[in-house]
Order: sequence, then C-alpha cells, then structure tokens
Amino acid sequence: MNVHDLLDASSAHVVGFDWLARAVAPVSPYGERVFEALRPFGPGEESAAQARCDAIARCEAAMPPDRLDAIRGLLADLPDVVGALARASMGDALDDAALLELRRFCATIERIESLTAEYPERPVIFNDAIAAVGVALAPAGRDASAFYLADAFDAKLAAARALLGREQAELDAARGRESALAARALGRETIESDEFIVMRADLRGSLPAGVRAIREAPTYVLCALEYGEATLAALARRDAAATAVAEAEARVRARLSALVRERAARLDAAARGLGELDVLVAAGRYAQRYACVAPSLDAGGVLAFEGARFLPLEDELAAAGRQFVPLDLELRDAAVLTGPNMGGKSVLLQTCGFLALACALGLPVPAERARCALFDRIAWLGLGRDASIGGLLSSFAREVVELKAILERAAPRLLILVDEFARTTTPHEGKALSIALLERLRERRAVGMLATHLSGIAAAAGVRHFAVRGLRGIPHRPAVSEVAQALAALAEAMDYTIEEVGPDARPRADAIALTELLGLDGDFVAAAHRALSQ
Amino acid sequence: MQIGSEILELARARGAATIFVVGIGRDVGKTTALRAIYAAAAARGVRTGLASIGRDGDGSQAGGARPKPRLWLAPQTTFVTAAGALPRTPAAEIVGLSASISPAGRLLYARVRMPGYYELVGPPTASGVREIVDGLRALGELVIVDGAVDRVAALAGSNGAIVVSCGAAAAGTMAEAVDDVAALVARLCVAPFDPDAPAIHLEGALTDAQAAAFVAADERRQIVVRDPTQIVVRGRAGSRALALLTVRCRRPLTVVAATVASIAAERSFEPREFAEAVARATNLPTFDVYAGTRAA
Repeated sequence: MNVHDLLDASSAHVVGFDWLARAVAPVSPYGERVFEALRPFGPGEESAAQARCDAIARCEAAMPPDRLDAIRGLLADLPDVVGALARASMGDALDDAALLELRRFCATIERIESLTAEYPERPVIFNDAIAAVGVALAPAGRDASAFYLADAFDAKLAAARALLGREQAELDAARGRESALAARALGRETIESDEFIVMRADLRGSLPAGVRAIREAPTYVLCALEYGEATLAALARRDAAATAVAEAEARVRARLSALVRERAARLDAAARGLGELDVLVAAGRYAQRYACVAPSLDAGGVLAFEGARFLPLEDELAAAGRQFVPLDLELRDAAVLTGPNMGGKSVLLQTCGFLALACALGLPVPAERARCALFDRIAWLGLGRDASIGGLLSSFAREVVELKAILERAAPRLLILVDEFARTTTPHEGKALSIALLERLRERRAVGMLATHLSGIAAAAGVRHFAVRGLRGIPHRPAVSEVAQALAALAEAMDYTIEEVGPDARPRADAIALTELLGLDGDFVAAAHRALSQ
Repeated sequence: MQIGSEILELARARGAATIFVVGIGRDVGKTTALRAIYAAAAARGVRTGLASIGRDGDGSQAGGARPKPRLWLAPQTTFVTAAGALPRTPAAEIVGLSASISPAGRLLYARVRMPGYYELVGPPTASGVREIVDGLRALGELVIVDGAVDRVAALAGSNGAIVVSCGAAAAGTMAEAVDDVAALVARLCVAPFDPDAPAIHLEGALTDAQAAAFVAADERRQIVVRDPTQIVVRGRAGSRALALLTVRCRRPLTVVAATVASIAAERSFEPREFAEAVARATNLPTFDVYAGTRAA
C-alpha cells in the first residue's frame, strides 16, 4: 500500500499508518499483490471510497468472525501458483510440486466458495477453469494436500509401472543372489556398502568370483562387486522399463500442463479474485475486531466524528489494563486546541489523522459515527515527528523547514495537524508564528488543528478554539510512587472531553499538580507554587 | 554381522525414534552408515523417514559446493527434498509442503512409490530441522537424518540417538582422527545438570574465552548450557578446559555408536586398528560398515 503521495513517512508513523497497514494486511501472496497496488482515494473519488468502505462493512456484517478467520486460515496456507501458471503459459511441462500447488489452489477456492456462499458481493473467483483443472488433477489422490502422478491418470502409465516393478524385482533378485554368493565366499553375513573391505587375514586364497579389488594394502583389500551376465541382462531390461515409465509420466505431465496452459488466463483471473477477497476479508476482520463503522465521505472539507478511537493507543492501553476514552469532534477549517498536560491533545490530533487516513484508504473507521472529507495531503508538524530532516538543525529550525515543505506543496485539500508548533522559541514569538500559520491555513481553506499551551492564539487568528476539559480535581498521589499507578490515577481524574470554548478562553495546564503526581518531591512542588504566585 | 541392524538395535534399545548420523568432517562414511541403518529398518518393514542436513564442510545441499549422494529408496519410505531436487521419474508422491525454503526450492515431504534414486535436501535453519524431524515423525515410525553436528540440538531432550562417523578423510593421522572423534563424543555426551548442586546457567554458548576464564577462576560450580551444541570450545586446549570444568546441560543428547571409514582417497588407516582405537577413545560400540566388523 503506497501512501507516499498522501503523507510523508514521519507523519505516517505519527498517525498510525504502520499499525493500520498491519491490521488490514492480507495473508496470501495473492492478497499481498493486490494490497501492494492499493493507493489512497483523493478528493473527487468520494463515491469510489464510499463504495469500498460500504463493501467492507457489508462483508463484516454478512460473515461472522469465525468464518472470516477460517477463510484467512485457508488463504494463509495457499501456495503461490502464479509462477507455475507463467511457466505453463510459456509451454513448460509442470513438475509434480507445481501440479500439487495448482491442485491445492483449486481445492481451496472451492472451499472458500462454500464459506462465502452467503455473501453475494464476494469477488468472482470460482470459474470453469478452476473446475476443469480440479477435475483433471483429481486422480492424484483423495487428499487434495498431496499429489501423486497416479496410475489413474493414464492406463499406459499403469502398464509401464507394472512392467518396471517386475523388472526391478528380477534385477534385485539377481543382484541379491550374486551379493549373497560373494558374501558367503568371504565368510560374511552380508555386504552393506558398494565398496567394502576384505582383511587379508580373513581371505583364504584369492578374491572370489564377482569381487574385484579396487585398492590393495598390506593388511586389507578394498573391493567392489562385479555383476555377472544375468544381472547385467536384468539391469538392461530394468533400464528399458524405467525409460518407458519416464516417457509415460512425461506424457501425463505434458497433457496436464497443456490443460493448465489453455486455461491460464482464467486461472490468473481467479488468482486476482482471490487476492481481492483476501484484502476484503482482512479489512472486514479489522472492522469487526475494532468495532469500526463505514464513515460518510463528504465532498466538503469536514472531519467530524463521535466516539472515535486512536487504535494504536487503544491497543497499548488495553495491554496495560486501561481503556481509551472515545473522542468527539467536528472540524471544518483551521482551529486551535488547548488543554492541560496529559489531557490528550496529541491523541486527538492523532485520532484525526488516523480517521482521515482510514477514510482515504476506503476503510471503516473506529468510531460510532464519522463524516470525513478525502484529503490530498495529511501533514503532521511539531512534537512526535522523528528527526529525519537536517541533523545539524535545531528543533525549531527543523520545524520551520518542515512547515516550509508542507506549505510549498500544492495540496488543494490539506489536513494539517500541528502539535505545539514553535514551542522551543520564546512564548511571545511562538504565539506570533502560530497565529501566522493559522492565518495561512485559513487563506488556503485547509482543515487543521493546532495544539498549544499558549493563550490568545484562536482569538488573534480568528479561528475556532477547542479545549480539553481537564482534571476534575487533583488526584491524590498514590501511596507507592510508581509511574503506572500515577498514570492510572491521572486517567481516572482526567475529563478528556473536547468542547468548543470562547476564543479568549485561557488554556489549562495543571502542570505543577502533575509534577507532584508523577513523583517530584514536595519541596520542589512547593517552590514551583511559590514562584507561580509571585 | 549386519552392521545396520546392530546400530538400529542400539538406538531402538534407547527408545530412539530419530537417529542423527553426524561426522567429524566430510567423506567420513556418514551416508554409508545411514544407508546401512536404513536398509536394516526397511528389511524389518519399519516405516522410515529420511532427511539430510548439510552444512559447509559437512556435505553440501543442492546449491552448495558438492552434491549430496543420492540414495536408493524403497517404496513407502518418506523423505524430505526440495521441489527442484525431486526427480521427475520415477514420480514420488508429494505428501506435504514444508515452510522451509532451500536454494533448490521449497522443501517438501515425499513418499516413494516406485523404488529409485532420490536426493535428500534439508533446511538451512535449526527451526527448520525441528520442523522436518517432527513432520517425518508424523508420517512414520523412525526418522534417520544425515545430520550436521551443529544441528543435533533438534534432538536435545527428545527420544533421539546420535551415531558419530569418523574417517581417514578428515584427519592427517589416525591419532588426530581418534582425538577429534573422542572430543566430539565427549562434547555430545555432556551429562545433565544436577539441580541440587550449585550451578552457573549460561544463556548462550560456552566459548573458548569463557572456558578459559572459568578455568582461571578455578570455577567449581556446574557450568550449565542449554544443550551440548552450545559448547563451542575448539581444539585440544578447549578439550583440556572442558576436562577441568564441570560442564553440564539442561537437555542432554544420546550417542549410541561410532562408525569408521578407514580408507580415503588421500590416505588410509589400518581398518581394525583404527576401529579399535576409536572404540577405546569413545567408549562406544564402533562399527566398520565397509569391513562388516564391530570393535568394542
């Protein structure tokens, strides 16, 4: 899945693209090829994106989780027949391993066909070629996960093998008689290797008939058996019979390969259909697992959701026994977001990016309801980006370079998520730069959210102001000073609700209370309070 | 005397369902020993699975420097090979595909339907070895592996047996060959650790440097590795260090026999003398498949 045109690598990382790509990844090589070719939908493609979201939602509604898991299990075990199809198309006779792969391919498609019978919108996979090849390979045995070029493929094959069996038995008997004679003459029970050692001390006279010396030493002779005329004649007959079997087997393989060659295009079409189903089922299972809904895709510039979740964090919290608090927002243009430290400002920005990304990929979103535009660029600026640009630049200079790149790129519909822009310069100038950025976004009719601790920015820029409600009260410091417990107490006390406030509303920080909760000593905290009151 | 039958008996007497044949080097008669054991099993009607695990210097796989010798296999034998190494004729039944890939293609499990020559190809990783041993065990009663010393960990703690092959091709003198096989057997036969005695448990391998440090510190506690393949001390100095330390393992291996190949292209040893020296040095039943003799 290539999203480079939609967002850069660093922004992709912050808004959870890697996580999302893993969550909706197909399991078969067929699905991987389709998945690789997927591109995000852009502005103007709302109908197509909506159709894909709705199809995934119908898929997950039509098929229960265990059915989707069963289909994914079958797909995961499938060998890739594309190489075999290509070789057959070019006239190669397929070997038995390739014929086994084709047999499993056809049998699996038949099983998937029955598992998806109740889902009428499934991609077309089963076709006459699958049926024909499946039938043609059926004589290979009852178990479709095995393959033998059995006698049932060709009556002449059976006859040739029967003859070879007889000739081999005669050869074995002749060779066995001669080997037993030689062993007896040497006073041994048996000869167990092609070359063998006879100790001179054990040898009475010369080597017996049928035994020749390969190498002689003072105490031993290295020997080999020499076969007599009867064995050599049996060997010639066996070789002729083996050749007849080889020719008969080659004829059967050539016939089966020709059948595959004639139907290669239809088999290829089935392989493509299988890939589409794999991608669809993966997305459907993701939607089930994370309770996702199809968003309403909007041609206007809006990003609105109720009960939305940022799934990478939700997963992380679940592992720690905690829950994600779902978020509501309606964002139509540029806006400011303020709130206390650890109040979830960054997570709201990430949730915006995650949902916008999922919509662009035509995927259901983790929310109770969502309405979203398709953006041609999703950009993240500020905290959270990695330092991939300009190792010699200061963090402020790096931000400026990144902002320049975002603003210079032609993106008629831009979603920009800004986390504490210009936080590393003076608050006075940081505020001025933030206001200028919001004014530029407003001019460009971009949709964006700028999270900050600075006050007065929304009013000065003439944009809406959202705020996290913040702490309901200052939580008590846990008896045992562990960060995990402090975080749990903080989460309990924090009201993560986002609400629109007046442009002049002063942002909350609660920073000193948080330092105490997180374990800084009382003297330090008291000194901070004194300094604040002066 | 039927050497294959005797070695098979020794392994079965220890309850072994898997036999690894490993060697001190190349051309030391591993494949000959394996053929003899396999022939004995086939003669008794034991459903046998065969696999090969070649490594550089220890017999190579398809795609390596030298091809493995092909084996004449009887109907109903199962074996592991690569898709690219399976002969077109006589056709074998492919009974399963492995997850492992070799340079000659995906590994697969095949069953012989018509007797013929077949090539064994093995997996490149330790986890692959475990997979194919388990896979063959599911298909038959006995698994014989043309093995590599550093891959016998797949047998550790299980009901497997090891046969060690040594030969004139792998050493300049008989004394060197005997020393080498004695050192290898001593390493593979490291005893299980005593849970009630003081011990240092190593997570990784016991190296030359670590062994030297333990000797210098006059370490008296048990030094415990996961299994004998985790002892990677080399040479005679390493052997001396091991003799001074109490090295033990959590998952022991069982060595049941040694085989000798006294004649090589570049040199040869007196067959009986060689077999008797190996038997004395290893304290194992020692067989010369070529001479049809046992020294013990």
